[in-house]
Amino acid sequence: MDMNLQEKLKILADSAKYDASCSSSGSKRSNKDGIGNAAESGICHSFASDGRCISLLKILLTNACIYDCKYCLNRKSNNIKRAMFTPEEVCQITINFYRRNYIEGLFLSSGIIKSPDYTMEQLIKTIELLRNKYHFNGYIHAKAIPGASDSLLKRLGSLVDRLSANVELPTENGLKLLAPNKESKKVNEIMNYVKNNQSRKYAPAGQSTQMIIGATKERDLDIMSKSSSLYDKYKLKRVFYSAYVPVNKDSMLPSLVRPPLTRENRLYQADWLLRFYNFKVSDLLNDDNPNFNILVDPKTDWALRHLKEFPKEINKCSYYDLLKIPGIGVKSAKRIITSRRNFTIHMEDLKRLGVVMKRAKYFILCDGKYFANSSVFKKNFIEANLVLEEKDMSIVNREQLRLF
Amino acid sequence: MYRIYVYDGNYIALLSLILELIKRNIKPDNIKMDDYEASLFDEVINLQVDLDMDILKKMKKSFGSYAINAMYYVYLSEEDNKELLLYYFFLNALKYHKDITFRRDLKCVSEVLRISQYVMHEGHRMKGFLRFKELENKVLYAEMEPTNDVIMLVSHHFQKRLKNEYFIIKDVKRRILSIYDKKKFVIVPENSFILDTDVLSDEEREMEELWKIFYRTIGIVERKNDRCRMNFMPKKYWKHMLEVEDEL
Ligand code: SF4
Repeated sequence: MDMNLQEKLKILADSAKYDASCSSSGSKRSNKDGIGNAAESGICHSFASDGRCISLLKILLTNACIYDCKYCLNRKSNNIKRAMFTPEEVCQITINFYRRNYIEGLFLSSGIIKSPDYTMEQLIKTIELLRNKYHFNGYIHAKAIPGASDSLLKRLGSLVDRLSANVELPTENGLKLLAPNKESKKVNEIMNYVKNNQSRKYAPAGQSTQMIIGATKERDLDIMSKSSSLYDKYKLKRVFYSAYVPVNKDSMLPSLVRPPLTRENRLYQADWLLRFYNFKVSDLLNDDNPNFNILVDPKTDWALRHLKEFPKEINKCSYYDLLKIPGIGVKSAKRIITSRRNFTIHMEDLKRLGVVMKRAKYFILCDGKYFANSSVFKKNFIEANLVLEEKDMSIVNREQLRLF
Repeated sequence: MYRIYVYDGNYIALLSLILELIKRNIKPDNIKMDDYEASLFDEVINLQVDLDMDILKKMKKSFGSYAINAMYYVYLSEEDNKELLLYYFFLNALKYHKDITFRRDLKCVSEVLRISQYVMHEGHRMKGFLRFKELENKVLYAEMEPTNDVIMLVSHHFQKRLKNEYFIIKDVKRRILSIYDKKKFVIVPENSFILDTDVLSDEEREMEELWKIFYRTIGIVERKNDRCRMNFMPKKYWKHMLEVEDEL
């Protein structure tokens, strides 16, 4: 496998790019006489042509793999060029990129070679070199290999800022169908181990996971229920959703023209509602209504279905009621609470408080006043206006907006 | 005539002037740096004010640190009437004390908070978008053209992160350099330091090439989204970012 560094980097970044997670937040690792530290809020260093944040050098150690997951470019049965970095090469690139401020740190995953334990040992060897020989204190996110032994999980977790394993598909059935070599039990074991050991010294930035969206038939309800239970059980920091990009042809896979990006966006929005807005999955979806409305975001959708609860008076309603109003986020809700202790809020103050008025105005009263004649307070009217509003916006990955 | 009070550009001098104006009950039409271009209708007044070295401490005690940080960020901004804005903010802070930052119903408060957010945001962005080149002598060198004066914020960040490296950051538009010598950084006018930035280290080109390859590879073609990329990474920064400068 004689290949130059450029070619290797191309292959091993290309095969890592479908992993959605690139976040570098949540760690406060400081620079003990070496190079680098972690910025707790995370830092984006660039944005790729697809608009996603580039924070970490995201690579695989190798794209060789003994497994044959149907959706994956690196699967054993694909006839593609294989490459493998030496630990020294990974360190060289990481340090050189880091010094020049191209990156915030390293995201290292790997195809499975020989066995899960053997693969883990290679990851550990690489990261140990980076931490101990090169004294690198920047951010590292490593992927744990399902099926690896506890003693290896222990070592890897104490070297990195984030250690995680991907659920990949929301149901056992989906996994059986598309990833016959993988068992959800083994992924759960990793998440459980990380949860029980997480501390300032062990994966201080916690763990995350990822689900592929649209490769199997699961409904949004199945996906969100899975996320919700993952957050509860394993104290995950994040669940990432990755719209399936058809890289392989297979009778088991759907033949999509474009990855389902709007659906992915809806899932991120709903995920946000679960974590910060006090919503439950059952508020948003049920068996009669198992998928998100593609036309409006989940919160607006909820508000339109519960119009009886509106309009809400900005100067009186509780924090949690404020959060239920489309166009009001965590930040603006908090500002409203502190402001109204000091003065009565009027319609014209709301924009300064960060409220997105073009959405919020339909759902609020401000000092007793509605923004227009009350005859417009009708579901059809509001819905039509908000759908048009939404059409105006490009599909931005909202979760990135929250970084700042 | 407009009565324009001037100061020498120093932050403490500005605050001392504002406080003096308030004490003397003078309402300025504007406050400007002394090198601004006066118009025919301006009466330029250079009030002699003693620098009050304890002013920050006193302000912090009575307005709270959130408010004084916000004021400092406004001072770093390129906002046209930032000094006058700070005057009004100061005036109101004397009335509302620590509650001042909750008074977003006042225009001067919502403006100070908005601008300070914007400056902080740009400082944060620069921490990511700045690109160093390695010069022959291993010194790391970066050029940037931020809208606001964020060189201090950025230098503090890299001082911790790259504490065992020599680095120089240049703000091209403001013609200033931040020079870090592994102990501390100083900010000096560009012409006070002779710098040969053309001779690069042996590895430099190779690393730049690797980074460009990585950048081109990591974007998913099926998800291409230029508008989104530009929202997060406005074109004004591209000139100094090697991975996108070719696309300009
Ligand atoms: S284990 Fe499956 S998903 Fe991971 S690299 Fe191998 S084939 Fe791809």
